[in-house]
Amino acid sequence: MNYCQSFRDTFISLQLLHMSVFSQSFSPCGRFLAAGNNYGEIAVFSLSAALSPDASEGSQKPILNFTAHDGPVFSLLSTDTHLLSAGNGEISAWSWAELIKKSNKAAWTRKPSYETSLEIPEINAMIINPKDNSLIVGGGDNNIHIMDMETEREDEILSGGEDGAVRIWDSRTNRPVHCIEVFKYEECARPQFGKWISCLATDSDWMLCGGGPSLSLWHLRSMSPTSVFPLPGCQREAVFYQDLIMSVGEGPFVSHCLHGGTVKAQIPCTQSSLNTLALNLKNTEHRVMTVGGSSHQIDVFTNFSYRAFSLSF
Amino acid sequence: MHVNMSAVTLMTNEVIRKRLLIDGDGAGDDRRINVLMKSFTKWCNSSFSPEEGLSQYQRMLTSLAQCEFSMGKTLLVYDMNLKEMENYEEIYADIEKSITSAHDKIAECKKEIQRAKRIRKNRQEYDALARVIKQHPDRHETLKQLEALDKELQQLSHIKENVEDKLELRKKQFHVLLTTIQELQQTLENDEKMESDDAQESPMENGD
Repeated sequence: MNYCQSFRDTFISLQLLHMSVFSQSFSPCGRFLAAGNNYGEIAVFSLSAALSPDASEGSQKPILNFTAHDGPVFSLLSTDTHLLSAGNGEISAWSWAELIKKSNKAAWTRKPSYETSLEIPEINAMIINPKDNSLIVGGGDNNIHIMDMETEREDEILSGGEDGAVRIWDSRTNRPVHCIEVFKYEECARPQFGKWISCLATDSDWMLCGGGPSLSLWHLRSMSPTSVFPLPGCQREAVFYQDLIMSVGEGPFVSHCLHGGTVKAQIPCTQSSLNTLALNLKNTEHRVMTVGGSSHQIDVFTNFSYRAFSLSF
Repeated sequence: MHVNMSAVTLMTNEVIRKRLLIDGDGAGDDRRINVLMKSFTKWCNSSFSPEEGLSQYQRMLTSLAQCEFSMGKTLLVYDMNLKEMENYEEIYADIEKSITSAHDKIAECKKEIQRAKRIRKNRQEYDALARVIKQHPDRHETLKQLEALDKELQQLSHIKENVEDKLELRKKQFHVLLTTIQELQQTLENDEKMESDDAQESPMENGD
């Protein structure tokens, strides 16, 4: 019995060692965080418990942890009532009300239509078009080398791919309107890293994109890069927040940058490299920023300038 | 005596404690009053010699004065305590007010900081766009260059026209020259021919 127990413990600690967090999403009420990892598991954490004054070790563990997909969960998205998770080629929806009650039954599971049924590509990003409540999904389909992820700007959709081009699509006609090849611009290009785009964010007329090329801020009206950020590694996710730009990527820190191109601060984290950054702006009481990466821990920032504590799978 | 004994037995620890507390001066006022009462009754009932009676009377007056003094003191202390209470109430109200005003100020400052952040963001965006714009050449410069180029173009087309006209003229002149030469040649040939015809005709006439 003892032997089995210690074997299981070793297995669990090995699993934790190799765990990477790929995606996060806050619940519509803002009191819960769902995180997906490379083993296909989704863990739901209670923010109110973790942020309360009498929080303990136990409140930093998930209230619910279940296996959602066969492959890694690269993307999580919350609608008003459901949590959508994307795994290897399929999308599942889980009702938040059920998740809070600790039930892990999926509401539905669907596969977007693929051209070939032989390959089941992974889905890398999802976003909801609020106009017609449709789900826009980007994945490694059509060409196994294209890895897309998308952000939305009014009734246009921006997508960035492994071919290094950021395309702007008109959602009414589904045709590309503009195409920006970031790696062709000298000031952004970093040929030693490649030309793929791994992070994309928009804020009215401005767009952030980065990945192989340096993280750069673009003015979409004039289609020109206005600032390039001198960040060493490849950035995996960036967001606009008030007057700052927050970005995470290779390197154990969250970078705070200004629109002018200066890096204002780099806040250290426990993970050695970060994959996902999420801001909980829906709930003013639990306004936090959480980051996850190549570790089983998720760092939580209550004041965005320093790490408060970590949640753990 | 019998009444006193029962009074003592009725006294509990609480009462003793209270009396000990109230008795401000320690072993003073209460005992003094009791002694005064006792000495008054003794003075009224017993017979003293006039001097003794007077001295006893003086002693009682002193004791009374002391009691009055003590009472006055206590009253003043009471008044002072009341005033202190009022003072503290005022200070408390003041502090409450300053707490609420500090809260308000904090809210104001938070709004201010949001505004400042937005302004900073806008400034940064302007700067970024300005940098891009600066990279492109000045509009006046470009217009001037365009004008200069236009002028040059005009001049060159003018020159071209002139040269073409000249070419036409020369062409025409050469054409005229060549036609004249050809006509002359023709005329000369004709003349030659006529001359040789004439020469042939005249020997034939002579032979007749």
